[in-house]
Amino acid sequence: MKYQTPSTTKEAAAFIKREKGKAFVLAGGTDLMVRMKSGFIEPDLVVDIKQISAMQAIKKSATGFRIGAAVSAAEMGENTALKKAWPGVVESANLIGSDQIQNRCTIAGNLCNASPAADAVPALIAAGAKANVVGPQRRRTVAVEKIITSPGKTSLSKGEIVESITLPKRAPRSGDAYLRFIPRSEMDIAVVGAGVNLVLDNNSVVKSARVALGAVAPTPLLVPAAAKAIIGTKLNKAALTKLADACSAACSPIDDKRGTVEFRTEVAGVLARRAARIAYERAGGK
Amino acid sequence: MSGTLVSAVINGDQTEFVCQTDESLLDVLRNRIGLTGSKEGCGTGDCGACSVLLDDRIVCSCLVLGVEIEGKAVNTVEGLADGDSLHPLQSNFIKHAALQCGICTPGFLMAGKALLDKNMNPSDEEIRFALAGNLCRCTGYDKIVRAVKATAKELRKT
Amino acid sequence: MANDTKFRNRNFKSVGTRPPRPDGLDKVTGRAKYGADTFAPGQLVGLVLRSPHAHAEIKKIDIAKAEKLSGVKAVITGDETDEPFGILPIARFEFPLARDKVRYRGEPVACVAAIDVETAQKAIDLIKFKYKELPAYFTSKDAMAEGTVDLHDHRPRNIEREVDFELGEVDKGLSDADFVFEESFNCAEVCQVQSEPHAAIAEYDAEREFITVRASTQVPYYDHLMLAKVLKMDEAQIRMVKPFVGGGFGCRTESLNVTLICALVARAANGTVRLTVSREETFITHRGRPETDIEMQIGVKKDGTITAVDYTAIQRGGAYSGYGVVTILYSGGLLFGLYDLTAVRYKGFRVLTNTPPPGAMRGHGITNVRYAFEALLDKIATKLKIDAIEIRRKNLLKGPNYETLNEMFINSYGLPECLDWVEKESQWNQRKGKMGKFRGLGVACGHYISGASKPVNWTGEPHATVHLKLDWDGSITILTGAPEIGQGSSTMATQCAAEVLGLDMSRFQIITSDSKLTPKDNGSYSSRVTYMVGNATIDAATNLKTILIEAAARKLDANPDDVECLGEYYSAGSQDEGLTFNEVVTAALEGTGTITVKGNFDTLPESWGTKKYRGGAISGSMAYAYAAQVVEVSVDPDTAEIKVEKVWAAQDVGKALNPLSVEGQIEGSVWMGMGQAISEGTLYHNGLGITNSMLDYRVPTIIESPPIEVGIIESIDPNGPFGAKEAGETSLIAFIPALTNAVADAIGVRPTDLPVTPDKLMELMEKNTNNEKSVT
Repeated sequence: MKYQTPSTTKEAAAFIKREKGKAFVLAGGTDLMVRMKSGFIEPDLVVDIKQISAMQAIKKSATGFRIGAAVSAAEMGENTALKKAWPGVVESANLIGSDQIQNRCTIAGNLCNASPAADAVPALIAAGAKANVVGPQRRRTVAVEKIITSPGKTSLSKGEIVESITLPKRAPRSGDAYLRFIPRSEMDIAVVGAGVNLVLDNNSVVKSARVALGAVAPTPLLVPAAAKAIIGTKLNKAALTKLADACSAACSPIDDKRGTVEFRTEVAGVLARRAARIAYERAGGK
Repeated sequence: MSGTLVSAVINGDQTEFVCQTDESLLDVLRNRIGLTGSKEGCGTGDCGACSVLLDDRIVCSCLVLGVEIEGKAVNTVEGLADGDSLHPLQSNFIKHAALQCGICTPGFLMAGKALLDKNMNPSDEEIRFALAGNLCRCTGYDKIVRAVKATAKELRKT
Repeated sequence: MANDTKFRNRNFKSVGTRPPRPDGLDKVTGRAKYGADTFAPGQLVGLVLRSPHAHAEIKKIDIAKAEKLSGVKAVITGDETDEPFGILPIARFEFPLARDKVRYRGEPVACVAAIDVETAQKAIDLIKFKYKELPAYFTSKDAMAEGTVDLHDHRPRNIEREVDFELGEVDKGLSDADFVFEESFNCAEVCQVQSEPHAAIAEYDAEREFITVRASTQVPYYDHLMLAKVLKMDEAQIRMVKPFVGGGFGCRTESLNVTLICALVARAANGTVRLTVSREETFITHRGRPETDIEMQIGVKKDGTITAVDYTAIQRGGAYSGYGVVTILYSGGLLFGLYDLTAVRYKGFRVLTNTPPPGAMRGHGITNVRYAFEALLDKIATKLKIDAIEIRRKNLLKGPNYETLNEMFINSYGLPECLDWVEKESQWNQRKGKMGKFRGLGVACGHYISGASKPVNWTGEPHATVHLKLDWDGSITILTGAPEIGQGSSTMATQCAAEVLGLDMSRFQIITSDSKLTPKDNGSYSSRVTYMVGNATIDAATNLKTILIEAAARKLDANPDDVECLGEYYSAGSQDEGLTFNEVVTAALEGTGTITVKGNFDTLPESWGTKKYRGGAISGSMAYAYAAQVVEVSVDPDTAEIKVEKVWAAQDVGKALNPLSVEGQIEGSVWMGMGQAISEGTLYHNGLGITNSMLDYRVPTIIESPPIEVGIIESIDPNGPFGAKEAGETSLIAFIPALTNAVADAIGVRPTDLPVTPDKLMELMEKNTNNEKSVT
């Protein structure tokens, strides 16, 4: 197995494009190593992106936050400004496993691993995050919800790497939240995940919203009908019920060893309701 | 098969070793360097028995490649004691019977150290969340929490 | 032995104190060497090839290419030995490597020994098998149905064992009852998930035809027996050593195929082979608790007195017997001894299926049945509007010195005190029924043996033998075959010896489980070590003390009856200067040299259980420990998540030799019970294990672990070592029903199937349309 530690994104992309065999990006390794160990994948080349300076930092600017692909979830949790602006995104990243996992895993890795249950993704989708994708020849920006196409598969072509994830500028009176249901505490794969991002007007009425669900469909889902249910409301009981119903209707989960269809569908609604209330409170709503 | 030469600081000592690119740090520590204190409990990062400090951050060494530690510092349970004096975590684990079979113990000690290095006054809840990545099948955890709490108290006094 | 008066008020020096465990230092520094930590020069790596089919005939095995691969020293298959192994002499039908047939997915079929892992893996990939698939059965029901293919020719309809007994008059009891209640239960299969995956290292000395095996085990003696059998070697040519072991809970209470395969391939390779298996393979090796279906009827008078019990238990026994016969017998025999039962009818079925074989797991054989009984009894209490603790009090034994219908002799019985303790500490009477919505309290009881009085391999030898060696340096070495697996047996033995001799524990070293050094011991299972090895240690230490007193008497020119042993000091009266311990030792060694003494323990014949039905002797034990628990839960009404808020666990352990250790065992038991109750369970898809990882098999983490208040009750068993009984299994048994009873109290609907996971509970809550607390 070849192991490379490029110092620029272009170099990394070129390594991957050139490789005739199977090439993989290594950030935290918390997914890659598990798949290697189980024999699920046998890499010919592993490209370690942790030396690339463009991927190492969290940068705050006038247009929002740029989170490098090599930034660990723990580092995100330690960034006060990021936590303040996007508590939902940060808490979702901080739910990916124990401290041991947190110190290594990345949201870019979580996204590109493309699990239907990826914890970081629903909140990113709700936030309207974008992935900055770099290939050997060109760069492009892709909405996060367009990255995962099916379980384990992304829309990236060979040689394309996510260099960073950008979060838009935080509007005033806005808030986000992410909740998930798991059988135990930190260690599990989500049975249901719900991310909600809201912007309120001066009367605490929801002006705009984005609602995303994880682990209830082949890919994480943006649920426009759920957002519609709460726009123009102050999250009264009727609105929340409509929100929950819209979420349950959008689900197409499977029965598996982690939960039944009925359970996931029901709990998707429950969590979306609870996450919406938390986001509303964070946005300053009463 | 040729290997990669890696240079790193392990338990404070400058160390060099040769390993295959696909070998985990855990395998390197145990099989190449002879530090068998870190254990393989699952090989998939789910039990924490292989926990070590990598540049002062707690990680599962079964999920890190040996070649990744080039130029970095790793701390394992073998480096916890200072000569013949145990680290307060070690002595409190013994005192409070926070161990029975002992396999999970090195991992807990390192995770406990990572916590106390950052937070010398953790609440019970903070202790539990910091150690959530370590599984123990013998103790039921209560005495582990007590041992960490007692250590925090001791460290605050010094 | 009037233990009660002797021990209840005595000032103990070591017993009853909270000394740190002597091996703690090795474990916290990383110095302790477990099975996978030993590296021998020139060792080879062993790797096992496992069957991809759940049930198939082996048509052809081609190892030629594998053998020729450079770096491969041996490749073995089922042809290597035709000697089957198994823990029970009556049920030895398993081969280390499958012969003729494979019977579960993952069953070992070949093993390679090579210079490194990569070579071994390449060799494994070169082995070609041809199989003819057979119909496979993954549930008890399917396996027992008409027209199935037998897994084993000698077990028609795949029934490993059927148990059928009636003691007392059940039909009369049921008709005398004012009410008869019944319920059906399903308990999912669970696994020990001990922290250390299996590991073995075998060194074959070709010139001497001698093999040394080091393996993670709870039963080095049984390993030794089975090694001799499958290797077809003289027992004296085998040395069996146990390194540090990372937990057992029953997973290593019988010889594992891993250990036997390692020895076989080491001999085939004429060298040393290290065979460690992954966590996934450890799950496949299994030997956990079988899935059990129970249907139970209890007849009661309107005041709650039990008149009769009638029940069946069907255990999904996996592909090989292992402990199976014992497990299905315990499910019947151990119903007795907790409450006063006058009529019991039991039908048990141990069924062979194409799944990995379960074995003996903590609370062997009785855990699931006790759960069913305590849950049904609780349902009865609710229906009859009798308090759940009161209904249990109504059915207690009339004190110790009681003989059950199946001739179990109860000589110490601290259950009433356990119930009193949990009732008081949990404020049961003030809070039950007043907890508010979705919050509840539940109570349950349990009991367990302190070692089976009739061992598995009966040789006529004492049940336990311990040696003490005293030499010129004044240090005493305890030599015992009893395996320390983390439970604290070495600490216990040291404390017992220290207590008798009045010395500090630091005077002792303990060497365990090396067949060339230590006396044979049956092993760490069925909670026998404290009782049996503790007693044997006391016997040995007493013998040593006699020798030392006699030597001191000679030296002091006094009568031995006048010499007092004060630990570090021996004196013949207040006028006398006395001798230090070292001086006594010197005196004792004069003329004889190094002293070794022996201590034995034998179980009393009256404790050997009943002959009233075939296999009834299994429940016989010298003593039974008792537990009562109250559990408080809250249930999230929207997600059906259960949170265990608090546990009050009282256990009658006879005498807590080391309260620190006893608390640790009780806490660990409660927590392991919680795992079985709310999150653990193995799952198979067409015989493929889909929970064989520590992510998917849900062992509770530190965050779910509840606060546990431990109440140690000491009934001082008349025959136990200083009055002690078992401390490591009973509290697991009591937890599970206490939890489900608490859930029933919290939400007004009673779960019957384990584990009680949120999705199952939600379904149950939705079926119960009236979500307010109702009579269940």
